[in-house]
Amino acid sequence: MRKSHISTLAISMTAAAALLVAGSALAAGKQDHHHGHGGAADIGKAGKASAATRTVTITMHDNYYEPKGMTFKEGETVRFVIHNKGEFVHEFTIATAEMHKSHAPAMQMMVEHGVLEPDRINWEAAKQMQAKMGHGMHDEPNSALLEPGKSAEIVWTFPKHAALEFACNVPGHYESGMVGKIKLSH
Amino acid sequence: MRIVSQTARALALGLTAAACLAGAVSAGEYHLTVDKITIDTGEFTRSGVGFNGTSPGPELRFQEGEDVVIHVTNNLSETTSIHWHGLILPYQQDGVPGITYDGIAPGETFTYRFPIKQSGTYWYHSHSDFQEPDGAYGALILEPKAPKPYSYDREYVVQLADAHPHHGSRIMRNLKMMPDYYNRKQRTLMDFFSDAKDKGLGAAWSDRKDWGEMRMMPTDIEDLQGFTPVINGKGPAQNWTGLFKPGERVRLRFINSSAMTYFDVRIPGLQMTVVQADGNNVQPVVVDEFRIAVAETYDVIVQPQEDKAYTVFAESMGRTAYASGTLAPRDGMVGAIPDMRTAPLLTMADMGGAHGGHGGMDHSQHGAMTESKSVEMDHSKMDHAQHGAMADAKPAEMDHSKMGHSQHQAEAPPNPYYADGSGLSPTAANGGKFLHYGDLKAQKPLYPVRAPTREIEMRLTGNMERYMWSINGIKYADADPIRLTYGERVRFKFVNETMMTHPMHLHGMWSILDTGQGQWNPIKHVVSVSPGTTIYMETEVDAPGKWAFHCHLSYHADSGMFRKVIVEGGPSDKQAAIPTTATGG
Repeated sequence: MRKSHISTLAISMTAAAALLVAGSALAAGKQDHHHGHGGAADIGKAGKASAATRTVTITMHDNYYEPKGMTFKEGETVRFVIHNKGEFVHEFTIATAEMHKSHAPAMQMMVEHGVLEPDRINWEAAKQMQAKMGHGMHDEPNSALLEPGKSAEIVWTFPKHAALEFACNVPGHYESGMVGKIKLSH
Repeated sequence: MRIVSQTARALALGLTAAACLAGAVSAGEYHLTVDKITIDTGEFTRSGVGFNGTSPGPELRFQEGEDVVIHVTNNLSETTSIHWHGLILPYQQDGVPGITYDGIAPGETFTYRFPIKQSGTYWYHSHSDFQEPDGAYGALILEPKAPKPYSYDREYVVQLADAHPHHGSRIMRNLKMMPDYYNRKQRTLMDFFSDAKDKGLGAAWSDRKDWGEMRMMPTDIEDLQGFTPVINGKGPAQNWTGLFKPGERVRLRFINSSAMTYFDVRIPGLQMTVVQADGNNVQPVVVDEFRIAVAETYDVIVQPQEDKAYTVFAESMGRTAYASGTLAPRDGMVGAIPDMRTAPLLTMADMGGAHGGHGGMDHSQHGAMTESKSVEMDHSKMDHAQHGAMADAKPAEMDHSKMGHSQHQAEAPPNPYYADGSGLSPTAANGGKFLHYGDLKAQKPLYPVRAPTREIEMRLTGNMERYMWSINGIKYADADPIRLTYGERVRFKFVNETMMTHPMHLHGMWSILDTGQGQWNPIKHVVSVSPGTTIYMETEVDAPGKWAFHCHLSYHADSGMFRKVIVEGGPSDKQAAIPTTATGG
């Protein structure tokens, strides 16, 4: 499996924070960060591939995932292999519902600046947005933004307790059902 | 409060043979009757026309890939017809008397046979006389073969209409006799004094004179008023209700089956994700409110989280009436009903091409008239003394604190699908996102992008004084058909020279609205053209035969804003008719 560096992208938390969002959207793996909505949510952290107990294949379609939901053991480290088999750009992000919601305006901003086109990421527009707004695109360990046909890997260590969802925050996709629950069993 | 369950509606369907669900080729056989019925909106009762004894008629559900056989029996004492609005089918099955067939005579049964080659939310209605305004309409749902690009836990049809206490033929007579017969919002002498105070006597007088020469008034937004908006046949007092469990995603299939009325639709407390327009999936777009033109459809997904009633609220564009229904976790619940916003006034911008010599028109009037609109503010509680002061109010007085993350969208440039300074350009009641055509992007383009082979200009024209509506100044009765050649890609240029908004509907072929988005341009069957604007749509001419092309406002279509389109050439197998039968008795 080829790890695609250019496609494992998410918008930086500074970008999200700048947009009327009380807390950062994607502070994943940075457990020292304080969240705005009622305290820190422990969503887990980036894991080591060698510690992964299993590999789960995630297929992105327009606009839904296979599988539709997942169950892991608390504290488990999982390797996700993500393929975008749709015709549109999609995201796979592990976070709480609240965090997904606060991430939405940043994604909307990317659409409005022409960075996020329906079926591609416009890197030229991304550079311009970076220059103009000071917001760019950064790797986040809990998230992958994939153009059609692209693949990526995420290794994630889940916490003991958390109400987590995997979701696509491309505008309108979450609302149309591109979201699933992650249950953590004892 | 009377609530008819979906089950009861489904049972009303005259279904004699179910489609073979497992088979590769399935064929469903359906029976419809066209009947004289009683319309009861909760505000009035009258006689009308329905299907299988009801208005709206039964919700028809077909499967993409199914070959349908639909027997339609006319129980009326006049000719009838059924047109399958938005469907791609052989022209002989399109159901337009005088163009595709002779219609269905009293006592006769006509059998439609056609393959279902598409999916989405559509509707069906009579294309004869004024039977559709009189109640002859219903919802038509085509289930897709492929997985949907969205998911939901339950769904409802929300079919809007403008039920009127007068029969359509009487309305047409009255409009011909006196075009402002149904305009209850005529400006009064007191309004003139108020205008004079706001703008100065000279400007107010010049304004009046311009409108007078136009034979129109700033309130000419709805030339038919006095109707009761209904949802699935139910007036506001009858409160159509759709049930949900908190947290579920609910798909609402909005269909505007009105004769004349555009609606601005919102569900206070819920954002709506638009996933389909005119039966074709669009890339999902989250909005707070949308305007639905006559004959359009929009499918939205909502996710009510709270255990409470939410009001589905649809104000008419001219703010003369509203439809309301309820989404609720249990039967019998009612949500808060918002006040209607202040009626918009047409502006000189809406006069656009309609008024050649503006003469002494002062451009500063644009501003004044636009600002007096400010539909986001709650004018409903204002008395008239305050009106003058409010006329200068800038949007800055609005409460932005409630606008949340969509604030930046409220500052977006004006809606390009209205004339600059138009009184009709809509804004969301909560200051949030109001859908416009530029937001619609095709989910799956049906045709490759290519240059059009030619352009055809269609000036939308009219003489309000005589209630005559036409295209390029010629009414249907006097016009030659538009001749197209199979294989062309025709670019239609709509130039609205009137002060009314016209929902233009081409039968049989798709209307690809040019929003400047190339392959993502939305694929529609109705294109609404605002006053004083020019917009373009392109059509791949891929359906031989004879088709109707008209304004979908019933009384505009009937008075002449209508054309016959003939598509010549094409493969012989496509030209060949699927056999149809008309049997007596």
